[in-house]
Amino acid sequence: MSTTMIYSGPAFAPTPPEPPSAEPNYLNHDYSIWSWLTTVDHKRIGILYLVSITLFFVVGGIAAGLVRLNLIAPNGAIMTEDAYNRAFTAHGVLMLFFFLIPAVPGVLGNFFVPLMIGAKDLAFPKLNLASWYVFMIGAIFGVWAILAGGIDTGWTLYPPYSSRSAQSNVVPGVLGVFISGFSSIMTGLNIMVTVHKMRAPGMTWGRLPLFIWSLYATSLIQLLGTPVVAITVFLLGIERVFGIGIFDPTIGGDPLLFQHLFWFYSHPAVYIMILPGMGIISEVLTCFSRKNIFGYQAVAWSSMGIAVVGFLLWAHHMFVAGISFYSALLFSFLSMLVAVPSAIKVFNWTATLYRGSISFQTPMIFALGFVVLFTIGGLTGLFLATLGTDIHLHDTYFVVAHFHFVMVGGMVLAYFAGLHYWWPKMTGRMYSDWWSRLAACIIIVGFFLTFIPQFVIGYHGMPRRYPNYPPEFQIYNIMSTAGASILGLGYLLPAFYLTLSLFFGKKAPANPWAATGLEWQTASPPPVHNFERTPVVVCGPYEYAIGADQMGRALPEAYDMVDELASGKRYNETVTNKETAVVG
Amino acid sequence: MNWLPPIVPVMASTLAVQFEALFWYIALITSLAAICVYGTMLYFCIAFRKSANPGPTPRILGSTRLEIAWTILPTIVFFSFFAWGALIYTYAVHPPRDAMEIFIIGKQWMWKAQYPNGQRVIIGGNPRNMTPSEREKIGKLVLPVNRPVRFTMTSEDVIHSFGLPAFRSKMDVLPGRYTTSWHIPNRIGEYDILCDQYCGTWHSLMVGRVSVVSEQDFDDWLNGFKPLQGSDHPVDGSVAQEGQQLFLKLQCIKCHSNQKNNKAPVLAGIYGERRELKGGGAEIVDDDYILESILKPRAKIAQGYEPIMPSYEGQATAEELTALVAYIKSLRPGGTPDATDRLPAPVGAPTIRPEPKTTSVEKN
Repeated sequence: MSTTMIYSGPAFAPTPPEPPSAEPNYLNHDYSIWSWLTTVDHKRIGILYLVSITLFFVVGGIAAGLVRLNLIAPNGAIMTEDAYNRAFTAHGVLMLFFFLIPAVPGVLGNFFVPLMIGAKDLAFPKLNLASWYVFMIGAIFGVWAILAGGIDTGWTLYPPYSSRSAQSNVVPGVLGVFISGFSSIMTGLNIMVTVHKMRAPGMTWGRLPLFIWSLYATSLIQLLGTPVVAITVFLLGIERVFGIGIFDPTIGGDPLLFQHLFWFYSHPAVYIMILPGMGIISEVLTCFSRKNIFGYQAVAWSSMGIAVVGFLLWAHHMFVAGISFYSALLFSFLSMLVAVPSAIKVFNWTATLYRGSISFQTPMIFALGFVVLFTIGGLTGLFLATLGTDIHLHDTYFVVAHFHFVMVGGMVLAYFAGLHYWWPKMTGRMYSDWWSRLAACIIIVGFFLTFIPQFVIGYHGMPRRYPNYPPEFQIYNIMSTAGASILGLGYLLPAFYLTLSLFFGKKAPANPWAATGLEWQTASPPPVHNFERTPVVVCGPYEYAIGADQMGRALPEAYDMVDELASGKRYNETVTNKETAVVG
Repeated sequence: MNWLPPIVPVMASTLAVQFEALFWYIALITSLAAICVYGTMLYFCIAFRKSANPGPTPRILGSTRLEIAWTILPTIVFFSFFAWGALIYTYAVHPPRDAMEIFIIGKQWMWKAQYPNGQRVIIGGNPRNMTPSEREKIGKLVLPVNRPVRFTMTSEDVIHSFGLPAFRSKMDVLPGRYTTSWHIPNRIGEYDILCDQYCGTWHSLMVGRVSVVSEQDFDDWLNGFKPLQGSDHPVDGSVAQEGQQLFLKLQCIKCHSNQKNNKAPVLAGIYGERRELKGGGAEIVDDDYILESILKPRAKIAQGYEPIMPSYEGQATAEELTALVAYIKSLRPGGTPDATDRLPAPVGAPTIRPEPKTTSVEKN
């Protein structure tokens, strides 16, 4: 390692004192419902998003449970075909549009982008509040569509089925997607402008935490991609309501046009979902291995590379849809290109662990689980990007397993890693260490058991969206459903211990993980305006080897915070109380 | 391990063999890559755990050489996947000129096939969604082994996908345009046809069977000699089906009904059988015997019947007679239709089906 350097002497200011717990902080300065509904505080809006997407995650999860339960018998265990079609559509629409897309940007992005770059708020606080309201209006349409009987088109909404044939509530569902898209654009715009204009003194682009880089890349996709899906579903609604021929060939339309437009957004949209997760992993892995990120530039630029190349791959969803031979060749080739930056990230994360001082706190278990599962998700994507194998694997459970590995094994685990990493900062409370580690392990094991069998039946040819299937696949479906029940249990645990932590959890110090980011340099929970004084940044984000935070001050010795809290030791006994200084 | 399907599903076409080679190549390389990453991670997690390595940690910022290495190496490997995959795809989407063309039509929720000589078979679908006459005609897609066949496909309503897992292929079937795929089936047997593109309520019942038979069997079937399609009725558009229309039109059915009676024998299943003749002797039922029985019914009378049948000399053309013979040959026990006063609909007439009810779906 040519750039190895072992730190050998103090060149930075001493450890800062524990910031006085802010009175009032953003949570307790006003308790009224009205103050929450009219807040323009990015932290409170993050919490609003947290509550709403958790709700949709639960409903989408129930739909998934129904789907899996029905699949234990080859002709449907509990539902008619029609009910099954509505259940998997509800699962897809809720999880994608109302959970995965807003999850990290809406909750953790809103909450932590200003804190991590040393700003008082996002650039447009009122737009931020508007984005939540727009999101909720879209969600109301989505919920209306489901309560009124559901949608039976699948989340992909392919016409002419959706525009002509489906007897279900396509229009309210499509309106929900259309409206919530604007919320995504608003969030993306807000984060992008904030990163450009609101960085604290000294927070250069090269010193941005990688979470910020990944959200910046995400915002780029949200801004450029979401209008396209808005146009697409709008046209679909027009065709369905007014019978104007756009996609339906019997009235002069082109069904492939919809697929091109839809995937032009929906393929980059999977990067909206996974990129912020990758950012979280970079934060967590460095913190719990006490290392600088290996190859900061490579990791940051691979996020941007994924965002840009991600726009050039959409037709790899259409290799067997009737597109031309040459475009299939081109899109297969380009799809291979996007696999490269993802591989680079995995290698860099692995290398980050080298010669670290690794501890396995809950966020770290989730993060390591992410790397393992995301690797499988990424590698199996190669089977689908390759033309010769996609012509069989397309639209089978192999695809289902592949994207669940990326979206659930990857994104949801990253979201949990982030939530557990930042929970003390968001709420000012520590959660149960033992229960959270247990939940992380259960989720990872349950996930494997759920989705590995699906690769096998997919390879054997079981198509997606099949409530009736050949009986030889039953054993694998039973295995998958058994795994899903373990996974479901794993998801229930955080609901309990995180809720309990709000009331009975130990008070969290400002920096429980001894992390370097600016968000840890203010009290937990943060005061209304985030920082007592505008922080001045003097170094890059992951100087764990030196032991300095981004303001150039020593990290607290409280790395074992959780253990000490558990054993009843007080935190600030070991913390010196000298004057804060900044190293230039 | 009877309850588990085989590790490698059955391969029934030349494409399937190519697919498996590439699939396992990618599986091998990606598994190796995953094992390398996981092994390294596991080693780091154990060797550099906090209790073994309490710190301080070295300040490692990266390594340009390593970055370049692990950018270029995966790129090369990924492009090997691309290149091999592109070769197979090129093979899969370019049918040879001499391939026999079969039209495939998808509709909610059935598959229909039409052969070059005009005969048509329903090769799968949801029986609950069909008229009784369609239901009787559900058969299989009969294909010859080792002969290239090309499917030219279109849809009557929404997008479907014609999936043949044993051939490792699928292709979307679109309304308003043709898509094609082609195969050389190379293994005699019966395999699944699945609809792979979501098409509505009974998407998962839009399944059928493909039957790969020997070339000789296939030619016999196409000429109307063998009911290999598996349905009780002759294939639409085949010579035998034309004969069936005549059989009804000429009122043969009035006496040669599906019920045993004393006027005339049941014809189902007699072809190739030995018949006792009135007045002694016996004869094997072959084409000539049937033709003679139609034209000169009193020449040979089956044991137990009276010579009451009129001659059909002059009432049917030679072609029509051939069709009648073909139909009687194809009749299998139980396959004779019910006697009816109504004449059958002409070939190709549209069928009228009750609107499918999507709200109150019966369970099977």
